[in-house]
Amino acid sequence: MKITVKLIGPFVNQLGFSEKEMEVVPSSTVEGLLALVGIDKARPRIVTRNGRAVAPGEEVREGDRIVISPLYSGG
Amino acid sequence: MNGWTGQILRVNLTTKTSKIETFSEEFAHKWIGGRGFAAKILYDELKPGIDPLGPDNKLIVAVGPIAGIPAPNTGKTVVAAKSPITGGYGDGNLGTRITEHLRRCGYDALIVEGRADRPTMLYIEDDRVEFLPADEVWGKGTYATNDWIYAKYGKGVGVLNIGQGGENMVRYAVVRSLQGRAGGRPGMGAVMGSKRLKAIVAKGTKPIPQADPAGMKKLGHDDLKKVHEIDKQSGWSIQGTTGVLAWCNEVAALPVRNFRKTHHPDAWKVDGERLNNARIATYGCPNCTMRCGITIHDDAGRESELDYENIGLLGPNLEIFDLPQVGALNYMCDDYGIDTMSGGCVLSFYADAVDHGAVAGDIKFGEAEKFKKILTAIALRQGEVGNLLAEGSLRAARKIGQGSEAYAMQVKGLEVAAYNCKFIPGMALAFGVSPIGAHHKESWVITFELKQTSRESYGPEKAQKVIDLQRIRGGLFEYIVACRFPWIELGWGLENYPKYFNAVSGLNWTLDDFWTISDRVYAMIKLFWLREYPRTDRKLDYPPAVWFDPANVDTEGPIAGRHLEYDKYDGLLQHYYDIRGYDRRGIPTRATLERLGLVAEAKAAEKFGSLT
Repeated sequence: MKITVKLIGPFVNQLGFSEKEMEVVPSSTVEGLLALVGIDKARPRIVTRNGRAVAPGEEVREGDRIVISPLYSGG
Repeated sequence: MNGWTGQILRVNLTTKTSKIETFSEEFAHKWIGGRGFAAKILYDELKPGIDPLGPDNKLIVAVGPIAGIPAPNTGKTVVAAKSPITGGYGDGNLGTRITEHLRRCGYDALIVEGRADRPTMLYIEDDRVEFLPADEVWGKGTYATNDWIYAKYGKGVGVLNIGQGGENMVRYAVVRSLQGRAGGRPGMGAVMGSKRLKAIVAKGTKPIPQADPAGMKKLGHDDLKKVHEIDKQSGWSIQGTTGVLAWCNEVAALPVRNFRKTHHPDAWKVDGERLNNARIATYGCPNCTMRCGITIHDDAGRESELDYENIGLLGPNLEIFDLPQVGALNYMCDDYGIDTMSGGCVLSFYADAVDHGAVAGDIKFGEAEKFKKILTAIALRQGEVGNLLAEGSLRAARKIGQGSEAYAMQVKGLEVAAYNCKFIPGMALAFGVSPIGAHHKESWVITFELKQTSRESYGPEKAQKVIDLQRIRGGLFEYIVACRFPWIELGWGLENYPKYFNAVSGLNWTLDDFWTISDRVYAMIKLFWLREYPRTDRKLDYPPAVWFDPANVDTEGPIAGRHLEYDKYDGLLQHYYDIRGYDRRGIPTRATLERLGLVAEAKAAEKFGSLT
C-alpha cells in the first residue's frame, strides 16, 4: 500500500529526502516504517500520522501521511 | 565573593553621575543574577503606577554568575524594566559582548535611572563611566549605530543599542546588539529611548572572580567542544529553529493569517530547508556552540538573520511565502529595533481588522510592500496608522473597537509567539501564565502534549509540565544566565549547569537547590504585577479569545472543528494555581510567599493589593 513519508529538520539531510511516497506492506507498523526509512533508533523523535502523534506499534494505513521529526523544544 | 563581582553600577542620566554599590552574599544566593536581580531591584525601587516611559522607570542590565565565562552558550545578558506594553514586569535576554565586558568592568548589574537631556551613549571602561553625546546617530538604525560605535572603539567592545523604534518609544521596541541579536520584547528598547539612551558600550579588562578559574577554564572549554560536536552529529543547526516550521504546518500549529488558520500549502516556501538553501552566513552569540542565526540576502540584498519566530510571524502569519520578502521585513525590524514577534502580530492584527471591516485601511494579507511601509510608519510613529500600531495590538484594538480585541493575539498586552494554540491547551496555558505576557521562552509543551498526553486533555499533568519547564527555562537559565538551547535542543545535561555554577562560586549546589529560587523569582514578579494591577483577575492569564471561538475553527485537517474551551481552560489554569500555591486570582498566597522567603516583599505588596 502507498503512504507518504515526510521528514523534518536534520532528518532531511541525514536520510537524503524531504518527502516521498513509499510502498509498504499492509499491517506495517510505525516502528517498522522507521527502520525502513533508516531513522536512528536512539534518536528522540515524534511521529505523526495524518497530524496526530502515534505510538510505535500503531499500524499505518493506505494513503497515510507520516511525518517523522526530531523533538523540537520551541527554541 | 567568588562567582559574583559583588558590585552593581548605578548611573543617573539626569545628573550624569554614577556610583558603585555592593550586594551581599545573601542577596547573591537568594537571587543569583539576571532575572532574579532584575525582579528584586525593580520591585524594591520602583513606585507602583509610574509611567514606564517616564524618567522614574529604571533599566536593569543584569548578568549571572556563569555569564561571560567560556562555557556552552554563556554570552547572554538580561535587560529588564517596567514594561511599556504590559504595564507589568518586563524583561528579555540577548546575546552580546556586554555580558563578558560588564563583568570584566567589575559589575554583575547596571541600573540606569533618570533621563538624559540629549541623546546619550553610556560608555563604561573598567572604573571609568562617561556620558557621551550620541546626537550623530540619533535617528539612525541599529546597524549604522553599531558601525559608528565600532569605528570609535573597535569591534571587540560590548554594545547594547536602539534604533528609531526605541527612540520613538514604540511600545515593543527591543534592545539590539551583535548582528541580528535582539532582546527585551516587552519594550525595553522603548525604555532606553524614553531616557534618550541610544547605546551602552562596555569594555572591561579585570578578571571575573571565580573559585576555581583553572578548573572552570578546562571544564568550560572542554564542554564548548563537546556541545559543538553534539550539534554537528545531530545536525540541528542545519535548519536551526526554523526546522520546526514544517512540523508546525503538519500538526496544525502554524500561525497563518493572524492565527486564523493553522497550516498553509505554501508554507514549504519559507521552511527550514529553503532557509538553509538560501544561507549566506551564520551568526551566533558569544560562546555559542550551535549558531542559530541563519542569514540570507533579503530582497534588497541586505543580510537578514532569521529564525523560526521571525519567519513564522512575518511570513505565514502575514501570508507572505517569499523568503527574501520575509527577510526584508525582518531586517527592517532589526534595524528599527522593533520586536519581530510583536511586529509581525501587530501587522497581522491590522490586516485582520481591515479585512473584517473593523477599521478602514489599505492592506491585505500577502502585500509585503505595503506591510513594509506600515512598519516604517510604526518605527517613525508617522501618521494615524503608524501611531496607532506603535502602541501594540491590544491598545490598537481597544481604540478600534468593533470586537477586534478578540483577535489581538496577545496576553497581558504582549503579543504571542509563533505557535497557533487554537487546539493546544497546554501551550495556551504556557502563554497565559508567562510572567511577562505571552512568550514561549518560559515554557514550551507542544511535543509533550502531542506525544505524552493528548491535545484533548486539560489535565494537571500539563500544568505540572508548564511549571517544570518554567523553573528551568524562565528560572535557571534566566538568572544563571545562559542560553537554554544546548539543553533543550541537543539534550545537553541540565546537571552541567550546577557544575559551572559550583566551579565559579565555590559552592556545592545541586539542581534541586535552584528550584526554590525559580519559584521565588516567579512569585516576586507576580507581586510586581499585583502592585500595578491590584484588581488583578485570573482572566489576565487567559490566551486570546479567538482561540475559543467556534467560528474560528479549522474546517479541515487534524484539528477540524476543534477549539479551546473556556471551562476546561479555566480548570487547567486552576491546576496551575493549585500546584504553584497561588490563589484564585493567580497571586501567590501568604503561605507560599513565606515558604519562598518573601515575607517582607509580601508586606510591601499588601499596601497596594490584597493577599490571601
